[in-house]
Amino acid sequence: MIKRNSELARTLRLSLWPGRLVKGRGKQRPYAVAVAIVALVCASQVRAQGNKGTDVSKVVRLNRAPVSKEVLHVQLPRPTVQKLPNGLTLVLLEDHKLPTVAFTMMIRPGQLADPDDLPGLASFTAAMLREGTTTQTSAQIAKEIDSLGASLGANAGFGSGYLSVNASGLAPDADKILDLMSDVVLHPTFPDSELAQYKQREQSALEQRLSNPGFLANQALRKALYVEPPLSVDSPTKDSIAKVTSADLKKFHDQHFTPGNAIVGVTGDFKTADMRALIEKSFGSWSGAAEAPLALPESRVSEPSKIILVDRPSSVQTYIVAGARTIRRTDPDYYSLVVMNDVLGGGPQARLFLDLREEHSYTYGAYSNMSANIYPGDWTGYAAVRTPVTDGSMTQFVYEYKKIASEAVPASELDDVHRSIIASFALSLEQPAQVLGSWMTVQYYGLAVDYWDKYPDRISGIDAAAVQAAAKKYVDLTHIQWVAVGDRKQIEPVLKKYGSVTVVDADGNPEP
Amino acid sequence: MRRTVFRKSLFGFLVLCGLCVLALGARLIAADVDGIAVPKLELHDTHLDNGLRVILVPDHSAPVYAINVTYNVGSRNEPPGHTGYAHLFEHMMFQGSENVGKGEHFILIFNNGGGMNGTTNEDRTNYFEELPKNQLDLGLYLEADRMRSLAVTQPNLDNQRAVVEEERRQSVDNQPYGHADLDIDNLSYDNFAYKHSTIGSMQDLNNASLQDVQNFFKTYYAPDNGVLVLVGDFDPEEALAKVKKYFDAIPSQQPPPKVDLSEEQHYGERRETIYDPLAREPQIIEAYHIPPGNTAENYAAQALAGILSGGQSSRFYQHLVKEKQLAVNVQAEPDARIGPSLFYIVATPRPGVSVADLEKGIDDELAAVIKDGVTADELAKAKTQELRRFIDQRRSTLNTANLIGQYAVYYDDPNLINTVADKEAAVTLDDVHAVATKYFVRDERAVVITMPAPKDSVAGKATGGAQ
Repeated sequence: MIKRNSELARTLRLSLWPGRLVKGRGKQRPYAVAVAIVALVCASQVRAQGNKGTDVSKVVRLNRAPVSKEVLHVQLPRPTVQKLPNGLTLVLLEDHKLPTVAFTMMIRPGQLADPDDLPGLASFTAAMLREGTTTQTSAQIAKEIDSLGASLGANAGFGSGYLSVNASGLAPDADKILDLMSDVVLHPTFPDSELAQYKQREQSALEQRLSNPGFLANQALRKALYVEPPLSVDSPTKDSIAKVTSADLKKFHDQHFTPGNAIVGVTGDFKTADMRALIEKSFGSWSGAAEAPLALPESRVSEPSKIILVDRPSSVQTYIVAGARTIRRTDPDYYSLVVMNDVLGGGPQARLFLDLREEHSYTYGAYSNMSANIYPGDWTGYAAVRTPVTDGSMTQFVYEYKKIASEAVPASELDDVHRSIIASFALSLEQPAQVLGSWMTVQYYGLAVDYWDKYPDRISGIDAAAVQAAAKKYVDLTHIQWVAVGDRKQIEPVLKKYGSVTVVDADGNPEP
Repeated sequence: MRRTVFRKSLFGFLVLCGLCVLALGARLIAADVDGIAVPKLELHDTHLDNGLRVILVPDHSAPVYAINVTYNVGSRNEPPGHTGYAHLFEHMMFQGSENVGKGEHFILIFNNGGGMNGTTNEDRTNYFEELPKNQLDLGLYLEADRMRSLAVTQPNLDNQRAVVEEERRQSVDNQPYGHADLDIDNLSYDNFAYKHSTIGSMQDLNNASLQDVQNFFKTYYAPDNGVLVLVGDFDPEEALAKVKKYFDAIPSQQPPPKVDLSEEQHYGERRETIYDPLAREPQIIEAYHIPPGNTAENYAAQALAGILSGGQSSRFYQHLVKEKQLAVNVQAEPDARIGPSLFYIVATPRPGVSVADLEKGIDDELAAVIKDGVTADELAKAKTQELRRFIDQRRSTLNTANLIGQYAVYYDDPNLINTVADKEAAVTLDDVHAVATKYFVRDERAVVITMPAPKDSVAGKATGGAQ
């Protein structure tokens, strides 16, 4: 993976897979499992489907390595959850291993409140918070943060129902960091001169994104799945960046930045009572009630399956992604979708990776992903494959999607997935920020206070029938929406074998 | 001033057979910037009879452990015609050994709640896993089995060669600026060791034979050419017994040939322009030669990079992005290799600003450091940022194990994990001024410019000396 631009820029980092190392839960997807027997079956079927003569390199399971049968059951440490008189919810989790502290604030409703003609307004507001307050200039704020070795930033993700403000640093500086954070949250001024500069940087960043195949694919898929704004939007536009004004930002801030809309989480080396006092001092005088939940479009897309080809000339790979709408985070189907997704594409041990990469070497990696939100989210499966095997890769995707919906998951494979999810709780214990995030998820979605204590049992309770039912319902080939980003000249004829193809350019405009 | 003293662990009094407990003494506090104490780690450092260096680091803060095996081989060891072999080989290490099937490694780690990966750079190749503490045998067994008995077949080689070629396409050939990242090293170095890319050329990858891969394994994947690091929730005595059980019988090998990394001084700026149909905006990469990692001068260069581009109060951001509005971003990134290293500067001009104007803006910033040095405030700020980064890295047992493995292979100093923050803190204003003066030499640098090319064109380049 190459780090770029705002990150450290240069080094090409090579690894076995471009991966997450540690399992996640909550909003992050847990890893999954696939068993070699399954992979072997698909390998033989694949050859039957037209890859005759390819020498398939088979995944093999010898079962000789020593594995402890015991699954280490751990309980996530519980935070202290309190509400200030002004309605601000606090989630405080002490962790004394190292002398650091991290704050994160979620402010509803984030990008979902963007006006249709100003996509990105929430993200512009977030990015501009640090650029000046009633008492400090952008440069003063930057200097103070950097002098503390701290970080302070805000963002509003597309599709997300909240804007995040994050600050962290060394534990003895907790009060100073919190002062800075509250200053930018409560008293931003969005100066015109800073906004003008931000717009230039953002226009340039948008250009950079438009050269990235993954970004192009997700932008087109989001539009195909969600159809209407705000849910269909995945990026600001050149137009929205050009026309946003300081007054727009102020209005967004005044309307939505209230303690009733916010949850603040803190983890690190502090005492809970002290931290509550610090937060009260910084945010106690903030006022404003919670907004009523937004009315969001309900419908799942039930259009027939189609393929959008985003033409990216000179591409040497095709980025293929397919997806469908799924469920809300609070839906009872959540657990079966988690398990189904893990079987299918949750990591290097799952079916898509073992099939498309380990057996067929079409790609550096193939995965699936699911999101559930305050509105029905989505499920997606994806891989970047070399252009000449676009056809073979489509065949394997279709094969895997059909298979998971039409065949029961073998018991041993299901058992592995259960084990994988439950055992991974131990690893999260050394990432207090992740544990805090899990508990903030509970607050955000209004889940039960013992949600994570019961989670392992809920996962264990998902049987093969439930996995298959979830696949049938959500991985439905007649309604899956496909996007392929690549060189039109080479891939259009191939894609036509799999459905009706619409061609657009990088900016989303139809190509004749 | 507040101090947090890490509680002294149980192992302060342990005398372990065959284990040399590094004498860390009573002082368990490492760097101390404004009263911030970084808890020190206790390293139990020993060698097995076959030469495998074993470093055990107990940390009972979570019921997990991390294992890292770092081999002293990277792309620097590749001769012409064999580029990309170290990294291709990293992939082969997951293709099965006597008792572990192809791909079974992933399956076993993830099914038991763990995480894993392997990575390759110029100087080393590492393999690492993190697992719940009750799976200590599993991690050790997987690493030992492949060190002892890697089995490679032609179909597996063909398969992973294709995967690696896909990795190259995904990260280089199908990405804007992908080739600039490779070309800057190619221009900067004359010595082949660092001149060529770690990902390698498609032609060399295609030519790799089964015999080549087998020879590579025999030469470099021996216990006496590697380091095993365990960090986490275990008893060191029990852990060492398990390490011995799994690794003792693996035979040592002839030491691999030493690689000459020396680089002659350059005269004359080297410059290249790439016309990239995947890029939508120009980009500048400059590289200046600096000394190897873990030297006083390299630490000074790291601090200087913090002053130039660490955070929004940095010089590059405040002067080039905000005041002069020449760039949308400018980053300084010095690397730290075993051998001669590079100080990279990567910049994207603001739309409408010429590459030449931005280059001049960067030159002016470097000239200002050479002329007037940096301020005490700036240096203090950079050090605090560095310390904060280091503490964050220390949070996970896996990061900690990876760092220790790297320090052991790079500098023969695993205990650098406990002293690196002191070394960073020791950099002075004069040190920073001296490295800027000595190494920001225009006549010795390389520059790669990427310009957007028409969408349907083929990528091209133009190379030359100073303009």
